[in-house]
Amino acid sequence: MKTKAITFSCLLATVLFITLSCSKDDDGNDGTDDIALQEEILAQVATNVCEDSYIDMHAKAVALNEAITTLNGTTTDANLAAAQAAWRDIRTTWERTESWLFGPIDADEIDPRIDTWPVDFNDLDGILANGDELTEAYIDGLEESLKGFHPIEYLLWGENGNKTAAQFTDREKAYLSALGENLTKLSADVKDTWQNGYTQELANAGRGSSEFATRQEAFLQLVDAMAGICDEVANAKIKEPFDAADPTLEESPFAKNSFTDFKNNITGILLMYQGKFNTDGKGLEDLVRTHNLSLDAEIKANHAAAIAALDAFNVPFGEAITTRQSDIQNAMDKINALATTLEGKLNPFVLQYVR
Amino acid sequence: MHLYKSTKLAIAFVVGVLTLQLACRKYQDDTTNPDDEWRSGGEQTVFDQGSGAFGHAFNGLPAYLARVHEVGDVQFNATFVSAPAPLNPGLGPVFNNVSCSSCHVNDGRGKIPGRGESAANMLFRVSLPGVGEHGSPLPVPGYGDQIQNRALLNYQPEADVAIGYTNESFAFGDGTSYELRRPTYTITNPYRPLPQGVLLSPRVAAPIFGLGLLEAISDVDILAREDPSDLDGDGISGRANWVWNIDEQRTTLGRFGWKANQPSLLQQTAAAYFADIGIANRLFSDTDGVLEITDSLLYAVDFYLRTLAVPGRRNVGAATVQQGKALFLSLGCSKCHIPDQRTAVTTAFPQTSYQLIHPYTDLLLHDMGEGLADNRPDFLADGNEWRTAPLWGIGLTQKVNGHTNFLHDGRARNLQEAILWHGGEAEAAKDRFRTLGKPDRDAVIAFLESL
Repeated sequence: MKTKAITFSCLLATVLFITLSCSKDDDGNDGTDDIALQEEILAQVATNVCEDSYIDMHAKAVALNEAITTLNGTTTDANLAAAQAAWRDIRTTWERTESWLFGPIDADEIDPRIDTWPVDFNDLDGILANGDELTEAYIDGLEESLKGFHPIEYLLWGENGNKTAAQFTDREKAYLSALGENLTKLSADVKDTWQNGYTQELANAGRGSSEFATRQEAFLQLVDAMAGICDEVANAKIKEPFDAADPTLEESPFAKNSFTDFKNNITGILLMYQGKFNTDGKGLEDLVRTHNLSLDAEIKANHAAAIAALDAFNVPFGEAITTRQSDIQNAMDKINALATTLEGKLNPFVLQYVR
Repeated sequence: MHLYKSTKLAIAFVVGVLTLQLACRKYQDDTTNPDDEWRSGGEQTVFDQGSGAFGHAFNGLPAYLARVHEVGDVQFNATFVSAPAPLNPGLGPVFNNVSCSSCHVNDGRGKIPGRGESAANMLFRVSLPGVGEHGSPLPVPGYGDQIQNRALLNYQPEADVAIGYTNESFAFGDGTSYELRRPTYTITNPYRPLPQGVLLSPRVAAPIFGLGLLEAISDVDILAREDPSDLDGDGISGRANWVWNIDEQRTTLGRFGWKANQPSLLQQTAAAYFADIGIANRLFSDTDGVLEITDSLLYAVDFYLRTLAVPGRRNVGAATVQQGKALFLSLGCSKCHIPDQRTAVTTAFPQTSYQLIHPYTDLLLHDMGEGLADNRPDFLADGNEWRTAPLWGIGLTQKVNGHTNFLHDGRARNLQEAILWHGGEAEAAKDRFRTLGKPDRDAVIAFLESL
């Protein structure tokens, strides 16, 4: 009897174990019933989020370039302010797209050519001092730390963030103009690569896409990118300067734009999740809400908490790391909590429901 | 009666269990493979098939070690600029690239420049015939042992290298023809005349995940596979490289690099910082002795590299993949691309201790024939010898790096071309592959893509 009882409990334990271990597959939702929804989500995310965002970024690069031309023609403080606003504007789009940092922006190595930090001040000063003709092609051949957003930021704001129109030299104007053209060209590159094929690669995941053999691969790529930007913001962009208590480690210091950058990074996650950049469409949200409302609520609550934590500052980041330490720690914690939900719950959710 | 009932009940349970097992078979197909081969990195396997597949930390690192990994990660991605600067000073004055990650993009394989493009993400070793200090290659005066093809403003790059390709036609056993492209390299714009007879050897940046596990294989296990005089008569020798170890001030087993010319990840990392970026460090510095990276950051990068996990395999159970694996074994590929290795026991770092891993390398040097030869000796590696490249994760190269250029100089445009370039000790295995029918060849490729 005793032996039998043990056998039975073993069996029972085994059954329970196996039942639990494959409960994901046995609740009737093995992913076969919402293939159409999944395909629709990928198609709409590819178009409404990714492609639209790069169209938007290119448009804003053109606008920035025009603002620089205007500033160079009529160098007034008002035109400087307009160029600065145009820089902030494209920066907003770019930081949001960092939540889907895969595909052409990555494979074609566009990212390092437009967003390398730090700036090489010595060589930048050297170029301003030499007699080379500052064409777009010349800029294109320069090292990455001499082109893209941050040299533009440096030239528009100055080292201490208080540049006036009267301080602009002709060399600076020429450099700025070539930088603007280079940024416009590279943002057109990314946009074109999406429009000329990559959008379809993502949209057709599992249906002949050479980039994504299965829908699951594509969904995992989205989730991975969303979790990746959390890690980047919390554990690198915020944590490095914070741990070192060193404001010189701050990225984007001249425009004092760091908190805005961080918030836009995190905002991008929700845009991807909800499938809307300019136009609201289907997003991962629609699949999650079909199967797991509490996960949907958790993602949104964690996301809101992370944004709220980043909103709690009224001083620039470089100052906050030494004066508002508990708030900074709180922001990192909230962003990490969001990452944990994305990696620990949304990723397994995709493995469970998407093939 | 009682017995009967319980037996019946037991049968019902068993049937239930079987049903449930069948029910979840599809989901767990790969993960229930009996010989465990889906877990390429043992316990340190991660399941990401996306562009970040090579960049994950080991599983279950304690928080303080995870933080060291993160610090190393940030440093690996840090862009250096000319000194003086508030952040990351010390670049150059001549260099190959500005950060580790600009060549090892996404912790993966460097992209080779297109025709006519400058040789970014690729570097060229140079030396003179003969032997340098401690058996190293003989440096070229004024150049050292590599060409730094970039420079800070107002400095001159050492030289550039123009890359050209000539196509050559061959045929499979079934008569189908194929083309391979043979690279040619020409040094252009040298900043000072290069001596006659300079030996030139190209290198693309190798993937950097799983290296901590390779470092954890004991010397004894690697050396046990050596067969320098081919005593077993299988046509495959396998030799160890013995190289100068700076920290130990003696010659030790070489493990890393295309010719196994570096004894440790730390020395490989320090050498790359100094020669590729121009960052002086504890192991390599200029005569002025000024260090541009602290020891602790150097160690953090070393730790980052040691703790990058290996991506797990995909589609292990697929019929073509199984067929390809069987062919991989029967053709003889696995004589050097050893599928299974066991890391040594270590109490100092349990994360890599006694792991069954599937790197598909023996870490030994093999004669790969004239076609691949760089004719540039490196310690004991002669001009024909290359270290067996690990194959784990190779199927994710397109996803992570957006290209499929393989071999030390990226000449192979896909996995099949990489196989077809094999010669020397691998000539016979290559020829067996070449004479396979197309379905079998495709199966071998499908297997490699599952790695």
